[in-house]
Amino acid sequence: MTDTEDAPALVSLTLSFRPLANQIGPLRSLLSDLCAPHVADADGLSRLLLAAHELLENVVKYSVGEVAEFHLCLEAKASGLAIRLRTKNRAAPERMADARWRLDALAAAHDPIAHYDQLIRESAGRRDVSGLGLARIPAESEMELFYATEQDWLILTAEGNTSERLSE
Amino acid sequence: MSALTLTAVGGESFQVTPQLVDFNLRLVFSGIGDMNATGVVNEYLKLVHEEALRIGLSQVSCDFTRLTFMNSSCFKSFVVWIDTVKTSEIRYQIAFLTNPNLPWQRRSLEALRRLAANLVTIETIA
Repeated sequence: MTDTEDAPALVSLTLSFRPLANQIGPLRSLLSDLCAPHVADADGLSRLLLAAHELLENVVKYSVGEVAEFHLCLEAKASGLAIRLRTKNRAAPERMADARWRLDALAAAHDPIAHYDQLIRESAGRRDVSGLGLARIPAESEMELFYATEQDWLILTAEGNTSERLSE
Repeated sequence: MSALTLTAVGGESFQVTPQLVDFNLRLVFSGIGDMNATGVVNEYLKLVHEEALRIGLSQVSCDFTRLTFMNSSCFKSFVVWIDTVKTSEIRYQIAFLTNPNLPWQRRSLEALRRLAANLVTIETIA
């Protein structure tokens, strides 16, 4: 085993903020700048940024209250880079119930891409909300998505791996 | 053939520009399709469908080579549009032109192709 298991994170960012839509673009650029030097290929960085973008938009759209949290951790492991993204926001009861329903269905699905395709077909006739953002994360980012609740706080965690850029 | 009534839309961070060549309409998307672009994309694709039927288009090409990202809400607008064409009596082909340096495009658009494999094609522009 290499000593990378005990090394500090390559990137660790924790943000407490009042979520606004126009913050997502600059945050996405910051994450790209922080992670790009460590991620081996464009696909790995693209998957990370897609997951971060959808999680941040989810916070902006559905949080209540003035404070939300975002956390990114990029760690070097013997098997490559471990990515962990986490958001924490307060949610209204109806939103919490909807999120639980969607995330439980996602967790029960054996194939995240087949589940995503089914949601896309079901959403085609609906002209209201997208309902696709969270399911997109495991389907396109190849990251696992978990959730927890603490009273009216919804905590979403996405975890995945990618290849590390090796020093020349 | 009737003249194109669609015009370019968007602002500083997101734009769509239409170009009509013969019976093919090319829509050039550029910038970032985020929350600020969702309403624009949704309304624009409705107009595209109306225009396609009015002119009798055989194909609409969506050029994504300068589109750096598209969120799930914008993506949903394409789902609705493709479903509308799929269930329309008069259909036309939909082609997506992608940038190989933007890997999210291939992943996202494959889901649209699976929704309507007989209507949707994906082409990589080198």
